[in-house]
Amino acid sequence: MTAPCASPVADEVLVDYWTGDLPAADGPALEEHLFSCADCSARLEGVASIAGGVAALARQGRITGIISRALLNRLQRDGVRVRQYTLDPGETVPCAAFPGDDVVVTALNANLAGVRAVSLRVTGPNDAVMGELNDIPVAASPAAVMWVTPAALIRSLPTQRVRLTLRSADDARLIAEYALDHTHAG
Amino acid sequence: MHPAVDASDGELARAVAGRAPGASDAAESELYRRFAPRVRLYGLRHLRDEESARDLVQQVMLLTIEKLRRGDVRDPDQIASFVLGTSRTMAIAARRTDARRERLREAFLAPDAFAAPDVGATLDLDRLEHCLAQLADRERSVVSLTFYAESSAAAVGADLGVSEGNVRVIRHRALAKLRACVLAERQAS
Repeated sequence: MTAPCASPVADEVLVDYWTGDLPAADGPALEEHLFSCADCSARLEGVASIAGGVAALARQGRITGIISRALLNRLQRDGVRVRQYTLDPGETVPCAAFPGDDVVVTALNANLAGVRAVSLRVTGPNDAVMGELNDIPVAASPAAVMWVTPAALIRSLPTQRVRLTLRSADDARLIAEYALDHTHAG
Repeated sequence: MHPAVDASDGELARAVAGRAPGASDAAESELYRRFAPRVRLYGLRHLRDEESARDLVQQVMLLTIEKLRRGDVRDPDQIASFVLGTSRTMAIAARRTDARRERLREAFLAPDAFAAPDVGATLDLDRLEHCLAQLADRERSVVSLTFYAESSAAAVGADLGVSEGNVRVIRHRALAKLRACVLAERQAS
């Protein structure tokens, strides 16, 4: 009989198992349990399903937000077509997303030494807020913040100037400002 | 004998043990229904590839049923352990084959020559995309690094400049939010 589980595995343990973070010595006993327990294996299926979904979305270029260099490398390895713009503080760069692009990565160079986390505010004409990302952890090598957007979204924007403002998340101190002169590429 | 669906794993295995093909179809089907998803998960976890995981399911379940029919499974009550042991052995062999296949692929084929697994068949990707957008930026970064880049908590922590323990907490919280969001949208529709 497929009775309810008498000793359910904690969600955190299931996630650690799936991500490879479970101590190797704990793996065999957990797998014995998963193979004999319908409840826990169904819960693991839920973790696996979301994990697979997140990966599938990324491979389709449906990924947004701040990304690390490791994530960018993975996207490129998987054949996701990346158009990248790199901006120094105070710089204005012309940009567009073209048919065939999957994602657009905007790399914002900045001196982030001593900064724990930043916020990024994106504004369009008349200072209309187009997006805001808060409490973005600064990577171990603090040289740039990389922001990824699906190219389809960028392609849908009209020709306009987009301003990007980077501030310290802790004290709102201005770190740098940038601008993208976006051309609607049709 | 209980109907197959109500029987324990051991009862099902004993119903198949030493019987000719066709003599215990209901028990065999129920064993397959129960264990195939678990073998697939094991395959996904260790082989990280949907196609390889599906192959593993076919190989493991065929061998399990064959061995049961021939009476070669010493203790049918421990059928779960038998299936797990078979999965382990076959996954090791599959990993060797996959490594060979990957080397050939890298040498001769473009990166997108192999189609991505059809996850959308079981999960509404539009719904998940919407739910991902609801996460805090930090949570989304952790989720993407973990489940797409397949980075360990330590590697994610190093990448984002946060502790490994903090990554685990963020990951757990984000996953709970995603599950609740996907479920809520599913129920709403």
